[in-house]
Amino acid sequence: MILSSSPPPTGERERGLSVASTLRSGVISWLVTAILVVISVVTLYPLLFTVINSLKTRTAFASDPLGLTWDITFENYVETFRRMDFPRLFLNSVVTTAGGLLLSTVAALFLAYAVTKLRIPGRNLIFLFIISMLVIPSQIIIYPLYETILDLGFGGTYQGLIFAYAAFGLPISTYLLAAYFRSIPDELLEAARLDGAGEIRILFSVLLPISAPAIAALSILNFVWMWNDLLLPLVILGGSDKKTLMVGVALLSGQYDVSIPLISAGLVVALLPVMVVYLFFQRLILPGAVSGAVR
Amino acid sequence: MADAVSELRQSSSPGRADSKRSFTHREAIVGLLFVLPGLTLAILFKLTPLLRGAWLSLLETRGFEDPTFAGLSNYQAMVRDPVFIQAFRNALVAFATLPIWIIFPLILAVLIFQRGPGWKFFRAAFFLPYMIAPVVVGIMFRQILAPDGALNAFLRASGLAPLAIEWLNGSDSSLLSLTAVALWSFFGLGVLTYLSGLATLSEEVIEAARLDGAGYWRLLIHIIIPLIKPVMGYWTVLCTSGLLIWMFPLIYALTKGGPGNSTMLPEYLVFTTTFQFMNRGSGAAIGMALFVFVALFSAFVVRRMYVEGSGKSE
Repeated sequence: MILSSSPPPTGERERGLSVASTLRSGVISWLVTAILVVISVVTLYPLLFTVINSLKTRTAFASDPLGLTWDITFENYVETFRRMDFPRLFLNSVVTTAGGLLLSTVAALFLAYAVTKLRIPGRNLIFLFIISMLVIPSQIIIYPLYETILDLGFGGTYQGLIFAYAAFGLPISTYLLAAYFRSIPDELLEAARLDGAGEIRILFSVLLPISAPAIAALSILNFVWMWNDLLLPLVILGGSDKKTLMVGVALLSGQYDVSIPLISAGLVVALLPVMVVYLFFQRLILPGAVSGAVR
Repeated sequence: MADAVSELRQSSSPGRADSKRSFTHREAIVGLLFVLPGLTLAILFKLTPLLRGAWLSLLETRGFEDPTFAGLSNYQAMVRDPVFIQAFRNALVAFATLPIWIIFPLILAVLIFQRGPGWKFFRAAFFLPYMIAPVVVGIMFRQILAPDGALNAFLRASGLAPLAIEWLNGSDSSLLSLTAVALWSFFGLGVLTYLSGLATLSEEVIEAARLDGAGYWRLLIHIIIPLIKPVMGYWTVLCTSGLLIWMFPLIYALTKGGPGNSTMLPEYLVFTTTFQFMNRGSGAAIGMALFVFVALFSAFVVRRMYVEGSGKSE
């Protein structure tokens, strides 16, 4: 009672000061939020624009290309499915992405295990060789790569693109797994070895379960670029009926009689799988994405 | 006694060495088998095409005729080719925008790092464009940047009609428009890269600066930037090589190198020379010229990964 009736003057002054500084920092944080909101409108608007346009009829788009519409139609999606042979293209993308993902992850698992946990001669050199493959981007070697795939008899086949995807995803997958394996103590493996487990058993029943987070993260990274890639599928599977969704969308957008609402529907269909993955696996994607930026 | 000991040592030591040798031997064979699939992939689909490309660049190829050895003539023709020169000049113009690529994501990262309301949403929203296939981004922006597209309609509606220019069809504006779309597509990766660097800063450093009354800009320039210099360096190198190798799907969807050759960049020139003009030898030569620059920049990235990944840094 006595204490509360006589507040110390210093407290008063502090409170006043803190009100002023809260006010100032309130203004600043409001400003910061405003900047961030503006930038996120700029990043989200093109997507919103595409989704809205994909739901407009041709005439509704012609009369008002920018505004919202109440006259929603799914006609464009039906037409896109028909023109692109969507089920086939989707299947092609799934098969090549899954194949490339699986092959590059398995190859990277064995490689990373060998260079981090086995005493083999020149293991650092092998590791360096694999990650130095990053300096060879697809754009530079695209024709000789295509020639090599033809020579191996994989021209116009799923395998051709799967091998290319696997080779381009390998350096980053090996790097991430090697870094993860290094953090796992050798004693764990020694214990399994004493129990008589072979190297393959150790890799798949000891290391693999522990490395699940790293494998999930790199699988998502590889999924995103393989699904989104244009040049490799364009050249390797180009005009064939095995072309991927991205190639299909690019070709659709080049047709002369295509309207903007129709293309927009094609774009939404093409980017939906990645958006769904992003929505569900953000926690895995955001931390790992930084190291997956090169291939 | 001494004899017995030495005898014991002699009899036991070869055995131990033997078992150790056979163990290492077995491990080496297993290891070799383990690295084989990955090495095969890398050699067949990366190294071999590179070497074949280097050889191809020395050949004269005409359409489907058998190629003949031509020495350096492809390179000599290349450096005299005005389109080649313009492609590399365009790349230099794109490099001039690098300061924006480096500073803009940094500012956003520092703003998000303050953990204001909704910072998680902003981080996710800024990274979203990077997840969208660049070819889809290109087609999207072809509609938005069209002469009567969304951007110009917005500018006219807000009384900025003089700014409503032909973004993609003007020979001066097209390259900058292309670079801006690329920035839209990739800046989120920069924000994430900086955030991962900022996460390693200790709270105390920043708190101390705050208590000192250090203003936002002083905090940024004198404390944060010096501390995350390595991350900035990494991002700079990544952007530099990215401007050379990230643009293909964007050019393919937005401008196809035009108008004229105003958005022609080396990586797209390799593609058109090889597949459109069927001049594989010249295409390979341009590819090799581009490779020199890309390898130079990406070598920094590889070195960083090697130092981290081979555990030699500690």
